[in-house]
Amino acid sequence: MSIIKDVQSGKKPLKRAYVAIFLWFTGRAIQAAAKVDREVKKEFEKLPENFTFSLGCLPDGPWMVVGREKGVVKYLGGDSRGRPVQVRLAIKSLDAGFLILSFQESTTLATARNRLITDGEIPYALAIIRILDIVEVYLLPKLIASLAVKRYPSWWTPARKFGGRIGVYTRTLLGI
Amino acid sequence: MLLPDYYEFCCRVKIVAGHDALEKIPDLLIERGAKKPLVITDKGVAGAGLTDIVSRAIGDRVDAGLIADDVPPDSDLRVVNRLARLYRDNACDAIIAVGGGSVMDTAKGINIVVSENAEDLMAFSGVGALKRPLKPLIAIPTTAGTGSEVTQVAVIKDHEKHLKMAFGSYFLLPDIAILDSRMTLTMPPFITAMTGMDAMSHAVEAYYCLQKNPLSDAHSLAAVGMIYRYLPLAVKNPEDRDSRLAMAVAACLAGIAFSNSMVGLVHNLGHATGSVCGVPHGLCMAILLPYGLEYNLHKRANVMAELLLPIAGEQVYLATPPEQRAQKVVSLIRGLNENLHAITGGRHARCLQEIKDREGKPSVPRDILPQIASAALLDGASIYNPEDTDYEDNRMVLEAAWEGKPLDRTRVKKG
Repeated sequence: MSIIKDVQSGKKPLKRAYVAIFLWFTGRAIQAAAKVDREVKKEFEKLPENFTFSLGCLPDGPWMVVGREKGVVKYLGGDSRGRPVQVRLAIKSLDAGFLILSFQESTTLATARNRLITDGEIPYALAIIRILDIVEVYLLPKLIASLAVKRYPSWWTPARKFGGRIGVYTRTLLGI
Repeated sequence: MLLPDYYEFCCRVKIVAGHDALEKIPDLLIERGAKKPLVITDKGVAGAGLTDIVSRAIGDRVDAGLIADDVPPDSDLRVVNRLARLYRDNACDAIIAVGGGSVMDTAKGINIVVSENAEDLMAFSGVGALKRPLKPLIAIPTTAGTGSEVTQVAVIKDHEKHLKMAFGSYFLLPDIAILDSRMTLTMPPFITAMTGMDAMSHAVEAYYCLQKNPLSDAHSLAAVGMIYRYLPLAVKNPEDRDSRLAMAVAACLAGIAFSNSMVGLVHNLGHATGSVCGVPHGLCMAILLPYGLEYNLHKRANVMAELLLPIAGEQVYLATPPEQRAQKVVSLIRGLNENLHAITGGRHARCLQEIKDREGKPSVPRDILPQIASAALLDGASIYNPEDTDYEDNRMVLEAAWEGKPLDRTRVKKG
């Protein structure tokens, strides 16, 4: 008779739901920003054809998968569906994911605190981080975005900031 | 001092330092059950007679007669596999690495292959792929700069497939680092200067970059003070054993600091300059260090100010108004470069335009700076830099470092 019982961690449904919704929205926003923002477009163009990356929480998600197909950037949902993933940005736990994605801890600080694991080529991972930073600036008000990114781009022209924001939000909500 | 809510720190290397530390090797090997180490090094180190010093110090209590001295300047997968075969064929049971970064990386690669009985080194690339301790590895650095005797990473190149494999694991930390003044006594002054400034850049960047923590800080502060005091002495009097030993220890301290708190813009731009122009890493570090400080000053002035105490001492520290201390640190590090330039008869370059190749031609022509600025975007060191960087920022810093003029800090983009 076994006297050792497996200890299951709590499911944390609210945190899981928050992180899942955030990743779903961000994935769609990346797809949108790749059409709206010249810098994001340029970053993706430098990545190989069929490049795919994922961002999510260990050990069992949720995840966001974004890939490039025939030059078009697409949000592929929460599962890579057998597609090879070149870069995986894994947050060590759901709790850490919640801290980062609710902006209680900046991405930079999370990296410094060893909460993120990068699996894949560093130059590609750096490009993804730059893309994520731009997308966060579009999605979030300055006060919150300043917590998420290392440097808020206050030098962006109003046309880029506000025009881009409208474009990204519209496309994200419509999924186009 | 900043107190982070969470951090990780690890250095499980036994460090043996002294003017006769090499003589301790037989005891250290026997303690670990090893009797037949494979000694690996490169032609330069062997040619300078350093492996002979190691062999004489080891004596005949252990069989250290098998010496492979053909490690290339760039670690190479074929060499790793060949030397791993040599290790197995001769039933070796430990590795002694005598040399700089490439020798250390090669030794770590061999250790993975022989310890894991691996056919494909690639299977162990990345972070965390190693799950158990490897064979005993003794690292004997022959420069005082890289700190690779206490780092947990290795980079091995597959020149046939044009691949660069990076390995990261606590199991890659050498078991023992031997810091012996005899290993650096013959190092020429200008190499002493640039490798010493490499160590300074590790210590300083570790102190102000994002992953700093109280434990890495302690190592940084000790290293900064020792380097500032002893580097000019070692460059001026290469045979001064005390300054040589002090520099070896300082480089080791700086290595422990940066492998636990990482580095930033200085290494970011330095790696890119090195890969685009093939200039020595230490020289890039020496030149770029004041610029890294200036670029990040608006975010880290208080932290940088603390470096003034180990650099200049209590009297200068107290006499300098708090708001001027960080800037004073920048000036003193620039002054150290000027001093090294003078002592080495101008061989220690102060700006990128002063770096010359063997024929005396400029190694970093100004029109190559855009290429360096782009290459820097592919280097991971930028992650830990306090301020964000983009292509224009890289270009601005490189232009100033090329000219040798202080950075115009009003041009640094702030969020």
